[in-house]
Amino acid sequence: MENQKALERIKNYSGRPVRIMEVCGTHTHAIFQYGIRQILPDTVHLISGPGCPVCVTETGYIDEAVCLAKKGAVITTFGDLVRVPGTEESLAGARAEGAKVRIVYSPLDALAYAKSHPEERVVFLAVGFETTAPASCLAVKKAKQEGVGNFWLLVANKTMDQAYRTLAGSADAFLYPGHVSAITGMGIYRELVREGISGAVCGFTSGEILTALAVILKRLQEGKPFAENCYPRVVTEEGSPAGRALIRETMEPCDAVWRGIGTIPCSGLRLNSGYRAFDAREAFDLPEMHSRPNPACRCGDVLMGRITPEQCPLFGKVCTPADPVGACMVSSEGTCSAYYKYSIR
Amino acid sequence: METVTLAHGAGGAQTSDLIASIFRSQFDNAYFTADDAAVLPAPSGRIAMTTDGFIVQPRFFPGGDVGRLSICGTVNDLACMGAKPQYLTCSFVIEEGFPLEELRRIVSSMGETAREAGVVIVAGDTKVAGKGQVDGLFITTTGVGELLPGVNLSGKNVKPGDAVIVTGDIGRHGCAILLARDEFGIEADVKSDDAPLWGAVQSVLDCTKEVRAFRDATRGGVGTVLYEIAKESGVGIRIDREKIPVDPAVGGVCGMLGLEPLYLACEGTMVCFAPMSQADGIVRILKNGKYTANAAVIGEVTEGPSGRVAVRTQIGAETLLPPPGGELLPRIC
Repeated sequence: MENQKALERIKNYSGRPVRIMEVCGTHTHAIFQYGIRQILPDTVHLISGPGCPVCVTETGYIDEAVCLAKKGAVITTFGDLVRVPGTEESLAGARAEGAKVRIVYSPLDALAYAKSHPEERVVFLAVGFETTAPASCLAVKKAKQEGVGNFWLLVANKTMDQAYRTLAGSADAFLYPGHVSAITGMGIYRELVREGISGAVCGFTSGEILTALAVILKRLQEGKPFAENCYPRVVTEEGSPAGRALIRETMEPCDAVWRGIGTIPCSGLRLNSGYRAFDAREAFDLPEMHSRPNPACRCGDVLMGRITPEQCPLFGKVCTPADPVGACMVSSEGTCSAYYKYSIR
Repeated sequence: METVTLAHGAGGAQTSDLIASIFRSQFDNAYFTADDAAVLPAPSGRIAMTTDGFIVQPRFFPGGDVGRLSICGTVNDLACMGAKPQYLTCSFVIEEGFPLEELRRIVSSMGETAREAGVVIVAGDTKVAGKGQVDGLFITTTGVGELLPGVNLSGKNVKPGDAVIVTGDIGRHGCAILLARDEFGIEADVKSDDAPLWGAVQSVLDCTKEVRAFRDATRGGVGTVLYEIAKESGVGIRIDREKIPVDPAVGGVCGMLGLEPLYLACEGTMVCFAPMSQADGIVRILKNGKYTANAAVIGEVTEGPSGRVAVRTQIGAETLLPPPGGELLPRIC
């Protein structure tokens, strides 16, 4: 029922052409899985933005992780990062040559591993947005409380608010991420409205996505900037103050490099002075990386919505989920991977 | 704790004791033999024969165990060909130090499942491997069944216009194993669908011989079966997402972990292909079965493109079913 009503509204959209950017990898995946692009009128364009933490991780970060692994650290990480190509090789490649790379489902699992293997030096690869950052913060806080001396983070966490400002010119409205918003609350979107940036927070069922799209189309026609919460069963106005407090307690903002986009000021996180002892870059004295992503890979243009994956010369030929070149094909939430898996060819 | 030792596999007195105390009591039947081979009456028609190995971790899981699995797997492979399962042999490779009590429970489960499935276990073999050479216990079963007359089932028979039927809700075995390994810290009430299905297949074939193929959706799940059949028969397949029966708990776990239930293993669910005119009748019969109450028509066979499996989504759009690939769960069946 919910589907039908929203579907009709979207199909009957008669306004000017609009671009709507989803900035959450889970949305990208769901939109392909439900086949939502196919039912949109020609005037409504969906752009897959940089919302998958693996996809926006720059080559240099992979190079740092590989370097740490070769220095003898045990790398603990979420699974998808293992296959992302670095300049010379991926973590999977390093593992095949004998490096220790363990897949974990939570930073706390990594901490538990460190505690039960005191003879090893354990580094957790802390990537992800506001959703995953608090868990890394909690791990490092516990490590400090418990005096764990063989556990560090290689931090590349990012925050979304500055990214919206950078991407504002690429889209007329954002489909805001459901899980990130559960932490941030609606406050950041109210601020964006004052700067003329619009969007709607969206859940993940077909009904929730269609409803959010229908609301965005209606509000765009009204012509005033807006911030709508179309995922109220999970996202509250205030979000998760506890999650945000954990981030503030252990980390501080810094500039961050986003793959394909470049440096966005104040869009990254790093450990603050109270927790610097847990920074793998300092503890292992990591040198500066001189990284070179594959020049033919156009992940960056895909992330900015400038091209569709099929317009990349590597897509489906030398770059496939089984043998990926770019991060967008590696990650199960990546745009190229979703195109490859679900598009009728 | 009593355990299996290398002496149990050496062929001497301990081997005889092991067979007598554990295997004979559970497998006892007129054909079970201490001779070198079982001597059996030959069926009158054609026979089907198959073999399968079983190395699941953990060995006991909600809804079943490796013993029950080792019977159902082979019985169901025979049933898929329209063959009434008759005789099984089983071969054990046991790791030195394996608890005898656990072996007894597994063998007891095999005996019970064989009786339920209407097959007799006529011969067996036991090898004991040194500590660390195998992981606990490997079971291989080989089965012979008698084909029902007038039945011709094959993955190559499927034609455009045929219905795609699943005999039950999908993905429960794979999901139960995933949860039993407790690697994700998720608790959900999911039991494996592990079950012998000859009764279900027979009831369908008793009613209509117009069935093109049965295939059990074990490793790789229903999705893999669809891709196999589309390729073997040179047809396309389109399934309807809303018609696929998925237990809510399985759906919930899949949602959390980003898994596609179509690619989770089943051990008591088959995919059946039959002319559309027969589909409703087949589903009606299956719905009366002990293990097939959730049977449903989930889609149809199309002209093609050959080998392509498409999904009609919740909102009426059509996408590709992502082809099988990547890492499947190791050691699930």
